[in-house]
Amino acid sequence: MKTFAELGFPGRLIAVEGLDGSGKSTQIHLLKRWLELQDLKVYFSEWNSSELVKSATTRGKTHELLTPTTFSLIHATDFADRYERHLVPLLRAGYVVLCDRYIFTAFARDVVRGCPPGWVRGLYNFAALPDLTFFFKAELEVSLNRILDGRPQLKFFEAGMDLRLSNDPYQSFRIFQGRLLEQYLAMAGEFKFAVIDANQPVEAQQTAVRERVAAGIDFTAFAPAGRAVEA
Amino acid sequence: MNRMSGHPLPSNGTHPIVVPPAPRRRFYGHGLPNVEPDKLAGRLIVIEGADGSGRTTQMARLVEWLEARGHATVQVGLSRSTLVSEELECAKNGNILSHTTLSLFYATDFADQIENSILPALRAGFMVLADRYIYTLMARDLVRGMDEVWLKNLYGIALVPDMVFYLNVSPAQLVQRNMAKNHALDYWESGMDLGLSRDMFDSFLQYQALIQKQFMRLQSVYGFIVIDGNHSVAEINRELKRNIEIALAGTK
Repeated sequence: MKTFAELGFPGRLIAVEGLDGSGKSTQIHLLKRWLELQDLKVYFSEWNSSELVKSATTRGKTHELLTPTTFSLIHATDFADRYERHLVPLLRAGYVVLCDRYIFTAFARDVVRGCPPGWVRGLYNFAALPDLTFFFKAELEVSLNRILDGRPQLKFFEAGMDLRLSNDPYQSFRIFQGRLLEQYLAMAGEFKFAVIDANQPVEAQQTAVRERVAAGIDFTAFAPAGRAVEA
Repeated sequence: MNRMSGHPLPSNGTHPIVVPPAPRRRFYGHGLPNVEPDKLAGRLIVIEGADGSGRTTQMARLVEWLEARGHATVQVGLSRSTLVSEELECAKNGNILSHTTLSLFYATDFADQIENSILPALRAGFMVLADRYIYTLMARDLVRGMDEVWLKNLYGIALVPDMVFYLNVSPAQLVQRNMAKNHALDYWESGMDLGLSRDMFDSFLQYQALIQKQFMRLQSVYGFIVIDGNHSVAEINRELKRNIEIALAGTK
């Protein structure tokens, strides 16, 4: 697998990964603001799946129809839709694309659910690797507490209830997240994650993120086309 | 009505019921989590072929024949899953999903059916007649330029059937049969999304020839039994039964 840069795309993709409650969404939001203030061509990719895929995914989740295999496949379908309809055209058009979660979320989640790792990797090998992947590494307890303190209504699959780890959704969520963290850490070296210590203050993390982005990406290439002509 | 114990079952004109021996099972690739292949008794028999190749007619006859012999039989087919069949239908009508997405959507449908229909039926010792299987899905994708290694990994979740038949009918003959039945050609069966020709008739002939070519290539990998679909319904049926009897008798 190659990165978008290695494949000759003019755009660059930056992904953030980490457990729920690791603070990754906050950090990618701050990164986006910083890039926008420099007037760069930036796009933040949310999970805006097409209606069709969303409708099937929702049915599968609400009626608890999904097995590890179909859970994996329906999410791969959703990812492919987002990849082909949004990410690739934007990267062809020379955008800096920020992704809150990318293929590594699926690698961790599906393997914890019992899918063979080689099969899951193979499913996603149509996708190029990010040019930069941040992994927000927080203490498991810190992430868990951020999510669980509010006593949220945990959804069945979100809590990993399908794995029958515990009858208590909160306990199930704890075990599930612990296993996800193990998977992420096992991948960190292989996929060259830029690991950010998410136990630090928000500002300290953002400083590290911005430094890493500035070192890895040549901003002059991402000025809007119009301005480049004027200059 | 009570039948006395030991009273022999009527055998006039009917075949004695034979319990098929346990088959040896494997998946094409990584397989499915939490499935023990050895628990899958029954038989999985696949019939492949284009629309108009006579699959439906043959399946109906086989069900009758198998049930007469005391085998519980169930029919499965593509795009019939509870999970995504509705959305797949919409996707086909709107043509809005790109290739990888549609391909994975079909794979999701297939996985849902293998886990929720095919495997439970096999565990219960049923004869499962599959109206198409992964080969049609692969052939369609291969014609559209999808990577073969990627497809093989994707469909590594599929159980290796006990027998696969491919009803091979020439594209020219398929046109005639589709016209006789529907007086029209189907958009997808004509491969209109490929832009081979703006003329649907031309496109159908070209597309079906491409699919046929992929099937013959897949045949060398997966070892289908190719049946000449231009023969009569009765002749084809005899050929199918002859082969299925072998599958029922042996472990493979």
